[in-house]
This record gives sequence, C-alpha cells and structure tokens, in this order.
Amino acid sequence: TMLPLLLLLLLPAAHGKVEHVRYTPFLTKSPVLEGLTTASTFVLEQPRCVFDNYGNADIWLVVALEKTASAFNNSVRPGTPESAFQKFPSDSVPAYMTLNATLANYPCPKPAGDITVLRVGSETSCTEDEARPTCNGPLSGPGPYRVKFLALEGSEPVAETDWSNPIMLRTAKSPNSISTTNEGHGAGMIALTTILSILFAILLAGLMAMFVFWGSDSCGGSSTFSKQEAVTVRRYNTHHV
Amino acid sequence: MAKSDDCMRILQGLLVFGNVVIGMCGIALTAECIYFVSDPHGVYPLLEATENNDIYAAAWIGIFVGFALFALAILGIIGIIKSDRTLLMVYIILMLITFAFEMASCITAATHRDFLTPNLFLKQMLETYQKSEPINSNNKWMTEGVTKTWDKIMVQNHCCGVLGPSDWQEYTSAFRLTHSDADFPWPRKCCVIDAQGLPINLDGCKLGVPGYYNSDGCYDAISGPVNTHAWGVAWFGFAILCWTFCVLLGTMFYWSGIEY
Repeated sequence: TMLPLLLLLLLPAAHGKVEHVRYTPFLTKSPVLEGLTTASTFVLEQPRCVFDNYGNADIWLVVALEKTASAFNNSVRPGTPESAFQKFPSDSVPAYMTLNATLANYPCPKPAGDITVLRVGSETSCTEDEARPTCNGPLSGPGPYRVKFLALEGSEPVAETDWSNPIMLRTAKSPNSISTTNEGHGAGMIALTTILSILFAILLAGLMAMFVFWGSDSCGGSSTFSKQEAVTVRRYNTHHV
Repeated sequence: MAKSDDCMRILQGLLVFGNVVIGMCGIALTAECIYFVSDPHGVYPLLEATENNDIYAAAWIGIFVGFALFALAILGIIGIIKSDRTLLMVYIILMLITFAFEMASCITAATHRDFLTPNLFLKQMLETYQKSEPINSNNKWMTEGVTKTWDKIMVQNHCCGVLGPSDWQEYTSAFRLTHSDADFPWPRKCCVIDAQGLPINLDGCKLGVPGYYNSDGCYDAISGPVNTHAWGVAWFGFAILCWTFCVLLGTMFYWSGIEY
C-alpha cells in the first residue's frame, strides 16, 4: 500500500513540466527612447516570436527584485495575494505578475517600423487598490529589478523565459546639489572695467588741471585766439529833455 | 597767431562733429535700451525670480544716459561755437557725471551677464516651476510668473528644461512633488503640441519617442536674448564712452586755449 501512495504523490510533480524558452527579456533598443528608464518605470521590448508554440496560453510578465528573483515559484498563480503588486516587495511576495497578454497580442514577425514596447509602471490608478493585484503600477525603488515572461495554460505554467539582466532605475538628486556660484568673470568684463576706469581717471585728471589753470592764461600762452564776436562800441544817444 | 587760429578752428570743427556724433549715439542708446527693457522675448520673469535682474537696471540707466548725452551734446556745440568758458566748464562737468553713470551701466551689464549660467536657471526652474503655493503666499505671483514663462518658452521654442528633458529625471523638483513620475516623466508642455494645445501622442511623449517630445534644452533660447541684451548695453556703451573720452579731452584742450 505504500507504493501506490508514493506514485500518487509523484504524479502531480511530473505533471507541471515547464519548458524553458531561450529568450532573455531586454529593454527596448530601437528606437532610442528618452524615457527608457525613469525613477519608477522602464520599457521592455515585447516578446515577439518567442511563445509561438503556445497559442492558447496567457503570457504574464513577472517582475522581481534581483535579490528576490530566485525565491519566485512558477506555480504561484496570478491575481492572488502571493503575486499582488500592492504587496511587492515583501517576504510573502518576492515577485508580482502583471501585463497579461495572449499570443494574438504579440504577432510574429514584428512589422518593420512598429514600436513594440511594454511600459512597466504605467498604471497609476490602481497602486493602492488591492482588488487589482495584477496592477501594472509604478515601482517604488530604484531596483535593480529582473523580469521574465511566464506562459500559463489554465493555471499551470507551461513555458518561461530566462530572467533578464538586472535593470537599474534612475535616482533623482536634490536640486540643492546644483552649484550656482560662477567661476570667475569673463575676460571681456575685466577688460571693459579696466579700460573705462583708466579713461575716467584721465578725464578727472584733466578736469583737475582745468581747475588749476582757471583764471590764468593757458600754458604756452601763444595759442590763444580771439573770440568770434568783436567788441563793438555802442553809441549812446542820451536824450535830455 | 594765424596758424594757431587755424588750428583752433579745425579743433572747433572737430569738436562740433564729435558732439554731433555723441548726440546721435545718445539717441541710439536710448532706443536700444528701450527695446531691451520692453523684453520682447519674455525672459524678464525668470531673471526677476533669480534676483539677478541687474542687466535691466543697466538698461534703464542707459535710457537716461542716452537722453543726457543728446542734451549735453547740444550744450557742447553751443559752447564751442560761442567759445564760452563757463558754458564749456559746465558741459565738461556734466559730461563727466554722465560718463560715470554710463560706466556703471556698462560694468553692471557685463558683470551680471556672467552670473546667468545654465545652473542658475536649472535650479530656479526645478524649485519654482509649478510649485504649489499656499493661497496667501507672497511668492505666488513669482511662481506663476516663472511657470507661465517656462510654458511659453517651451512651447514656442520646442524645447524642454534647461539642458533637456533629462533635467526632470535627474533631479527632484517642486513639479515632481505634485506630478507622479510615471504619469509625468516631464511636463506636458515638453510634448509636441497640436493646434488645440494638446499633445499629439501622449504615450509617445511619456515614452520619449523621437518626434513626440521636445528633446532640446531651452538654455539657448533664453541665453541668446540675454546675451544680446547684455552685450548690446555693455559694448555699445563702451564704444560711446571711448568716443566721448576723445571729445572731452579735445574740449578740455580747447577750453584751455580760449582767451579769458
């Protein structure tokens, strides 16, 4: 009686064989995006031509911290508290599952010129809503994060990709760290100040010289000249009554 | 005697010509400074908020100095033609006072231009743009002025931030306190706007897809007019002062040659 019991115990384990697809998720390379990583979001390339054998499966994105990725168990179901975005990251939720899609969303081959991206962190309305555990909410820390895609048929995992390389998000500095003291004055300003000061000083010296010579003949004496209006003698007719 | 008389006549003619040029330059200086004070590019609110708007003070001084130069040039011409010692002494003293004011204006414009670095505008933008103020705050008008000016600059010049949209990502800001990073990696005005004032593709703008957002920084659009303003006031003033220096020296020499 022991043997059949053991066989029964072994069977469920053999049932859940997950195919490991040779694909590593990566951040979008083309076109170059300004917002590829921000402080709380990042942009992944869609997994095109990866899950072609699984037309009936739901393809989920699993997001974990680099240090908790190994603690993730493929048999965790999406939409449960064990994989809820709102509880990530914590001991009970090493990774959350979001961005549900089917193969129809990822047609193969990818049309040239199309931008095929998944923006992780774009849903801001459900970050606190525990009724939406599959929320694609903004991430709260800079990471580093690792992601992988997991294909589920019914509720059983059937295929998974590799974990991605660690994805680091941006950290913003405080504006107080910007130094606004200017490093010295330009050469133009120094030249301008110097020349103008010298000119002004010369003029003041000239003015002093003028005051000294006020009332005396000019130095040299011989360069004087007469005023334009000649002195005219007026004849007065005096009337005597 | 006759020869030196001729010399003095020539000097007289030269000084009259010099004063005519000073008068015309004075009018030109006034016109130029009025143009700068009228702020055609709308950057004054930014400078006022940085408390570094002394280049505007320099332009205001330039307006009055220009008028003074024109009036004094006329006085000088009359004084030279009449060869009146008193009149010329008054002319020289008033001209020296005007010279001093114009010198102050030029040096102020040149010095304060050096303060207007990208970092100054960056810090002000991050701290003031779209800052939410309490209702009765004194700074509310300043915050609104800075916000409106930045919105206008970003839309008109198709630019974003001081050095680029990454300014909003690299630093925290007053804007970031009220607008989440996921919905607003950068302000909406950084998006390419259609005729109704709405972004043509909001998702494209948030992702940063080329063509749907403004990728250049606005520093060139701001510093261009400010540079023109500062150099226009400083170096044109400098040129006028150099010419005035020569005319004044000539007048002093002429004055000393007038028979008392």
